[in-house]
Amino acid sequence: MIEFAMDITLVISLLWLAWLLLAAQDMFKAIILFIIFGLFMALVWARLNAPDVALAEAAIGSGLSGALLLASLRRSGESGAGNEQRAGGLEPGSGITPGSATLNITHRLLTVLIIGLAGTLVWAAWVMPPQHSGLTEQVTARMQRSGVSNPVTAVLLNFRGYDTLLEIGVLLLALICVRSLGALPQFLTLRPPGMVLMAFTRLLVPFMVLVAGYLLWAGAHAPGGAFQGGAVLAAAGVLLLLADIGLLQSCPERLLRALAALGFTVFLLVASMMLQASGQILNYTPARAGAWILLIESAALISIALILVLLFSGGRFEKGRVPAQERDPVQ
Amino acid sequence: MNKLYLFAALFLLVNIIAGLFRVLRGPTSIDRMLAAQLFGTTGVAIIVLLAEALAIPELHDVGLVFALLSAISTVAFVKMSYAQKEGSDVSD
Repeated sequence: MIEFAMDITLVISLLWLAWLLLAAQDMFKAIILFIIFGLFMALVWARLNAPDVALAEAAIGSGLSGALLLASLRRSGESGAGNEQRAGGLEPGSGITPGSATLNITHRLLTVLIIGLAGTLVWAAWVMPPQHSGLTEQVTARMQRSGVSNPVTAVLLNFRGYDTLLEIGVLLLALICVRSLGALPQFLTLRPPGMVLMAFTRLLVPFMVLVAGYLLWAGAHAPGGAFQGGAVLAAAGVLLLLADIGLLQSCPERLLRALAALGFTVFLLVASMMLQASGQILNYTPARAGAWILLIESAALISIALILVLLFSGGRFEKGRVPAQERDPVQ
Repeated sequence: MNKLYLFAALFLLVNIIAGLFRVLRGPTSIDRMLAAQLFGTTGVAIIVLLAEALAIPELHDVGLVFALLSAISTVAFVKMSYAQKEGSDVSD
């Protein structure tokens, strides 16, 4: 009974939140609702007994996306020339005002596409056999050869490693695209960070680094992995930027580029080595599979974290800023 | 005991839904941001309760990650609001 009440409350509020955030005129309000939507989504995954997805949703969907979206809103508010748009950054009433003719056609096209997609999904769920367990049996049968004991990691890094390779490639491509836009407006204040933020950063950053490492290691046998760990590590980097600690800014450009590409490079190298050895891409030998997966995930963790921090700060770290320590101390 | 945990989780969930009123009404961005920030804390509590009630110990890690990351948006918001204030000072 209580389970049912919980589920029905979650489902209704999730749909309601989705509608509210899509219908919100004010961009800032929509971002806040999106953060809350991420929280509810994580709760739904937890209730569905999918802690792996809940962890990813908590790390990326609710945690880091909020900061990324706020940064984008701030930038889009500032890039406009007029004063109204300038003021529209974080205050209510900002957002994209709908045009008329072109938007109407886009709306209609989107409506048709969404109805088509929804119909396909309903049809797919309808024709599915009731006791269908998907690919669970095939995965369980091959777990011994995967090198890890967490089935999700086995699928992501071993059985379907090719997909994950491309995902990391997409992330790198996103960074290259953002960087090709040139210097984006910076939004961080020149005011030195206060005592609270400094203490918060000093306490939290080492802990975040520790948890990122823990999630990477735990990925072999429990929920975790490079993407979740990378998001936590990226949050540490974002905090370093916000607290104006010049650690990331002092990194040489070449090193940053190398680290951003590290994950994809290592993954690709391992893949081509396996192709040479066994004739199949990413076909590890069962004895060494665990070690290969850990190597790929470690490299991917660093790249994912760095790419996410760079996306937050507009593709590059602002050079020439005086780090907080070298300015006047906080009064 | 599990029923009690689930009931507590449901109660906290209803609390979040009640708190959505502040997010929807505002009136200022600060009200909205602070409400979302408090939801993060409540969310951690719900996840830890669900971990006990549903006997999924892995959910504790989800709570840990939530607790670590939920403040990031707020810090970003505060820094950006200050930047905006300074920006408008210059333009005035």
